[in-house]
Amino acid sequence: MTAAILSLTNVSYRYPDGTSALDNCSLTVARGSRTAVLGTNGAGKTTLFLHLNGILRPSSGQVRWEGTPLDYGRSELRKLRSRVGLVFQNPDSQLFSASVREDVSFGPMNLGLSEKIVRERVEEALHAVGMTDSADKPVHNLSYGQKKRVCIAGVLAMQPEVVVLDEPMAGLDITMQEELTTVLERLHAAGMTIIVATHDLDFAYGWADEAIILQSGRLLAHGVPAKILLQQDVRNELGAAPLVAEISSQLSLIGIDLRDKGYLPRSKSELLTALGAHIRQETKP
Amino acid sequence: MLTELSAYTNRWRRVTPTAKGLFSLCGMIAAFAAGSSRTALLIALMLTAAAIMGAGVPPMRYLRVAAPALLFLVTSALSLLVSLDFGHNYATGVSLHLAGPEMTRIAHVCCRSLACLTALLFLALTTPLPDIISLLRLCKLPDTLLDLMTLCYRTLFVLSEVVHETLTAQSARLGYASVAISLRSLGVLIANLSVQVWQRSQALHLAAVARNNDGALLFLPPDFPHATRSISRAAISGILLIALAVTLP
Ligand SMILES: Nc1ncnc2c1ncn2[C@@H]1O[C@H](COP(=O)(O)OP(=O)(O)OP(=O)(O)O)[C@@H](O)[C@H]1O
Ligand SMILES: [Mg+2]
Repeated sequence: MTAAILSLTNVSYRYPDGTSALDNCSLTVARGSRTAVLGTNGAGKTTLFLHLNGILRPSSGQVRWEGTPLDYGRSELRKLRSRVGLVFQNPDSQLFSASVREDVSFGPMNLGLSEKIVRERVEEALHAVGMTDSADKPVHNLSYGQKKRVCIAGVLAMQPEVVVLDEPMAGLDITMQEELTTVLERLHAAGMTIIVATHDLDFAYGWADEAIILQSGRLLAHGVPAKILLQQDVRNELGAAPLVAEISSQLSLIGIDLRDKGYLPRSKSELLTALGAHIRQETKP
Repeated sequence: MLTELSAYTNRWRRVTPTAKGLFSLCGMIAAFAAGSSRTALLIALMLTAAAIMGAGVPPMRYLRVAAPALLFLVTSALSLLVSLDFGHNYATGVSLHLAGPEMTRIAHVCCRSLACLTALLFLALTTPLPDIISLLRLCKLPDTLLDLMTLCYRTLFVLSEVVHETLTAQSARLGYASVAISLRSLGVLIANLSVQVWQRSQALHLAAVARNNDGALLFLPPDFPHATRSISRAAISGILLIALAVTLP
């Protein structure tokens, strides 16, 4: 296993009104990994993310960057925030410039880069999320999904080492979800560490290397999705298990083994391919 | 929002705001320099033509945007034109006087105001506010003021959306079925809006901080093709406009 890039040790957080949103959480995120964070509404996903970027400071416990506890001084925070990019859940609370291109330029400008480099990065980021054509539109004329893409571009343009996305798929149409998955794959291939909060079990099951399950601010489980998403306590907490996994396990009960080189299918398309192959084999004389 | 619409959709959208600002400024100077009502009217006509024929703003939209301002102009013209005379003794009562000899001066003032109005309308209808803000930044206006303008502009839309959504949600649950209920609903709407304003500003602050902001809101200045060409063209037509105003009687 590669070295931890971000880790939490015994982190607890209480909002000023007394709500305990994180309770003694310890977890690590490996460099270059894909992590899915799951949990019911109000489980503390957003609160956890705000800690990773240094916006919230734990009431007790520590957040570490490459093993070193965060120093909440001004210059250290600047460094952290240029390394960890955070895409918020609600796009309207992240976009504050009137035009798309301007808003995407906001982060890189804050990094103090030259205008030429900022321009390049903005175009690159807009291209990555497929928003080049709408670059001159006013933000208020975009659809919800388009606003979300602009938010993602705004963070990508800063070229962080870790991207943290709070429910990026919510509100996107199916094509856009697939496109976003491709974008995430590309970023992963380029070595970026990606952390995603999601309610989509199938996405987490198919995409992530690691899953973190939160239950009312406590860490319920942390590990390989193929394993922990099928655990009974996790299933009870989230209310379901990934459909692809359920189908495969039900089929194995009646003697149909979909394993390909020892791996069970992880996504819908893999499941369909495996089923097709199985049927073809069965019907062969 | 009509202004918005035409600012984003007119033919001169991609022309640098410096050029449009310069032309509008020249228009205003020409309006002040106009020596007679006829000249001022001519200037107003030319500025309107620039917006309608040049930038392609639909005439009806132009009129609708201009209407409120024109209404003000007309009412103030009327009030200048007519004066009340209470007479020297109360026996003669109150009489209305038309300002006879003042007539030409009043007409002159009105026509000049009209020309100024068309110069401003030209800028407003061809240039989106973000561009105007970047122009003002070039003019070295204080950053704080411009940041405030940026945020207000954005917040305006976010809030109008919130108001709209809340209104719809309330109406859907019969929130405006009677006068008494309407009053109550309106109160709730306003209370809710204040909380939203506070929360949104908090969220925007967080978002800015998360993207490493610690001071002025910096954005990439928009890039306009053929800027020098547009500026020189605007300057030439602007100067011609002023020359016309100065030379005509
Ligand atoms: N600003 C706040 N003040 C007080 N309590 C808060 C605040 N923000 C969140 N909470 C509370 O903290 C808990 C965790 O909230 P959080 O937003 O982290 O949940 P979440 O997992 O992101 O939920 P969702 O899936 O709905 O986005 C909730 O009980 C919530 O009510
Ligand atoms: Mg959340």
